[in-house]
Amino acid sequence: MSSTTLSLRGVTRRFKDTVALNALDLDVAQGELVALLGPSGCGKTTALRIIAGLDRPDEGAVLVGGKDVSQLPPNKRNMGMVFQSYSLFPNLTAVENVAFGLTMRGEHKKVRLARAAELLEMVGLPSHAKRFPHQLSGGQQQRVALARALAFEPDLLLLDEPLSALDAQVRANLRDEIRALQLKTGTTTIFVTHDQEEAMAMSDRVAVMNAGKIAQIAKPDELYHNPADQFVASFVGQMNRIPVVLDGHKAILLGQSVRFRSDWAGASNNPLALVRPEDLSVVNVAEGLGNARVVARSFLGPLSKVALTLDDGTEAYAVMTSAHSADFQLGTEVRVSASEREYLVVAG
Amino acid sequence: MKFKLAKFPLYLAITLAAVFFLLPLGSAAEYALREPLKKTYGLDNFTWFMTQPDFGHYVGISFGLSLGAALVTLVLLVPTVIWLNLGGARLRRFVEFITLLPLVIPVVALAIGAQTSLPDFAQTQEGVLSFMYAVLALPYAYRTLDIGLRAVPLNTIVEAARGLGAGWFRTILQVVVPVVRGPVISSLFMTLALSLGEFTLTSLMHWDTFTTWVTTISQQNILGAIALSVFSLVAVFVLLLVIGLFIKTPSSQAQPEDK
Repeated sequence: MSSTTLSLRGVTRRFKDTVALNALDLDVAQGELVALLGPSGCGKTTALRIIAGLDRPDEGAVLVGGKDVSQLPPNKRNMGMVFQSYSLFPNLTAVENVAFGLTMRGEHKKVRLARAAELLEMVGLPSHAKRFPHQLSGGQQQRVALARALAFEPDLLLLDEPLSALDAQVRANLRDEIRALQLKTGTTTIFVTHDQEEAMAMSDRVAVMNAGKIAQIAKPDELYHNPADQFVASFVGQMNRIPVVLDGHKAILLGQSVRFRSDWAGASNNPLALVRPEDLSVVNVAEGLGNARVVARSFLGPLSKVALTLDDGTEAYAVMTSAHSADFQLGTEVRVSASEREYLVVAG
Repeated sequence: MKFKLAKFPLYLAITLAAVFFLLPLGSAAEYALREPLKKTYGLDNFTWFMTQPDFGHYVGISFGLSLGAALVTLVLLVPTVIWLNLGGARLRRFVEFITLLPLVIPVVALAIGAQTSLPDFAQTQEGVLSFMYAVLALPYAYRTLDIGLRAVPLNTIVEAARGLGAGWFRTILQVVVPVVRGPVISSLFMTLALSLGEFTLTSLMHWDTFTTWVTTISQQNILGAIALSVFSLVAVFVLLLVIGLFIKTPSSQAQPEDK
């Protein structure tokens, strides 16, 4: 295992007038899997390409194991990369593709073929060694690409949306396999994705990026429950925006007093609390005692989503077990309350 | 098989196209096989041109010049198109425009341009025709090459190779060259085929090759000249058929997922 640490220090990259990365700082511990998550154009792929050496920063430094590699070409960085599009060499078989990195390092043929066979075994394709890329499915090609990236024991594994071209079922399976493999090899990994579910499921930490900066980096559950700002809150998971009345250190939310924190400094006539659908509880009450009405129900398997219209006209969603949701008929009056926890309040 | 009325326009178009191309060819072949003195059909006209003393000489010249044109394409065009597909995309429009010029500029203007602008020593070298043939084949060779290269994700493959530890030299030699081999060979054969059949420019520049020789000998034996034309047409057709059969670009398309 040759995994190591990664640090980005003030990395800036401009394309003409566009600032793709704006003094980006990032620290990744040895053996950690960090996802760079964000919308299109947030700079996550640019960051990955700079780490890989496929692009150069205008300012700042990339440190691998404490050593500045910013000026090294990609072939001198010892990093394995899996791309979004299929990147296997079409003229080489699966085993030759996997052995390519070892060939470049001057390994003896016997050694590299044995290592390639071992990696193909590891990704579940031992019988596909002699197949050419066009004889493999998309999922199999990405498995071979993963084996190829790991074969020479890279310092870092870089994954650039490797699952986005695959269909849902293959994607879910491969997601788990990549994580299992990463844990097994202990390779420090950066995983770029725009899919929050993928990022949350696979990563030790998720860095949510916006406009060339990291808006928040945290463990998935922390990111979900304690988003740093409105952008992170709305990008990660679903969020209701429910009006609150501020009262000193408390906020009155759905008629109950809750703790809050705010990411906006000025006063506002219309403060909104960001509330996760699962933080809303719904109970049937007698007519005239409720504060909302049920307007729709969506069955999602074990869970259901119930759409509500609050008394003030705000639309909100609550998530509950499907069995529980059966209690609520469309149009009935219900009482909605929020869990006892701290909420982020933003300007409306 | 049941005839589908909806496909009638398609069948009609194919039939008309086939008649348009095959009728003159068939007529030429029929004419070439005539032996008027014996009032029968035979291969006399074909054996006549093959036994002409200059036949081999001019075939050799034409092949030599065409191979030269293919070499010019290999040295100048192939690296250009690879570069366009790797990172020079912003100049693609400009290069496309340049490659279209031979279709727009009349051959006579090209010939006069070459005769007035080329240095004296070049004008006395037959090899200059190779460059001119390469220019004439540019629209077709460029597009054959570019379409082939666009079918493979060259940029990603090169980046993958670089990331796996290959320097530029090894990346070009061990990754790019094998991947682009199919499109490159196709464009070279395209240049070769077009050069072999080129007549106008050669004639205007006062050089003698196989095609101009055919015109000359047609004054001695018109049926023999037609037989020669049919022969060269079939030869080029077979050449292109060989390209289609043996040159396959490695596909980067994936198979359907195993369920």
